Amino acid sequence: MSFNVLIVDDSRAMRAVIKKTISMSGFKMDQCLEAGNGREALDVLARDWVDIIISDINMPEMNGLEFLGELKKDSLLKAIPVIVISTEGSERHVQDAYDLGARGFIKKPFLPEEIKKVLYEVLGVNDEGEYGEDREDDDVIDF
Amino acid sequence: MMKENMERIEKTMTSSIFEVFEKMFYIFLEPLDAGSRCDEYDMEAAIGFDGTMSGNVRVLLSREIVMAMVQNMLGLRGDEITVQEMEDCSKEAVNMVCGNFLGRLDNREAFNLSLPTFKEGRPRGLESGKDIYRMDFDSDYGNMGVIVRIQP
Repeated sequence: MSFNVLIVDDSRAMRAVIKKTISMSGFKMDQCLEAGNGREALDVLARDWVDIIISDINMPEMNGLEFLGELKKDSLLKAIPVIVISTEGSERHVQDAYDLGARGFIKKPFLPEEIKKVLYEVLGVNDEGEYGEDREDDDVIDF
Repeated sequence: MMKENMERIEKTMTSSIFEVFEKMFYIFLEPLDAGSRCDEYDMEAAIGFDGTMSGNVRVLLSREIVMAMVQNMLGLRGDEITVQEMEDCSKEAVNMVCGNFLGRLDNREAFNLSLPTFKEGRPRGLESGKDIYRMDFDSDYGNMGVIVRIQP
């Protein structure tokens, strides 16, 4: 199983680093979409479905918390898990992000392992990128 | 009291700079004492903050250290680096340094950070003074400096 990822950050360099880190972690990524702020991210989401969003907070035009607020208002988009990745890691900022629906928080600067760990936790997948715990053979249906 | 505050700010900022430059740019810095400082910087990135206290942070950079930051962060060769990437990395550096610094000073309070700015050319106004703290560092790739201004 592979996943479509949307990275939202106003820094092209940071988007490239996050993308490279995810690829190198062994995470099974199908499409990697990018947006420079929350407004652009909503435009991307109007066209493409993604499985997970990784978003910065401090961005021009529409910041990460405003973006989370917009997702929360949409019955379809609010189902997409969001990981916030930000320098602003105070208890209040983290709580604000979780209150608005974020499922994970990574503080910059980060180590590659931290991104992988939070991604897998939030998506509930194992190291093979599959959902759930050990699957019994009995659960597999042959057609 | 003032000396204690100054030491606390300098120590906290030094830890933040070390963490950001080691984790994100794989650059190991060595603090320079005031006598060994040089003002030969080629660009700067700055960010403002506002909360229980306000002020700004300026990161002063030599061209060589910015090139190394971009190369190490993005895995690019020297001839592939554009000014846009140098600007992006410098702005991201000051953003992370400031966020990390404020988090270490007070993790319970939320500070609002402005959007980072970038300027190429010799930075001006490098002197330190009351409520202005300056720290300079050396590395294998040249110098970097930080100026923190805190409004009481």
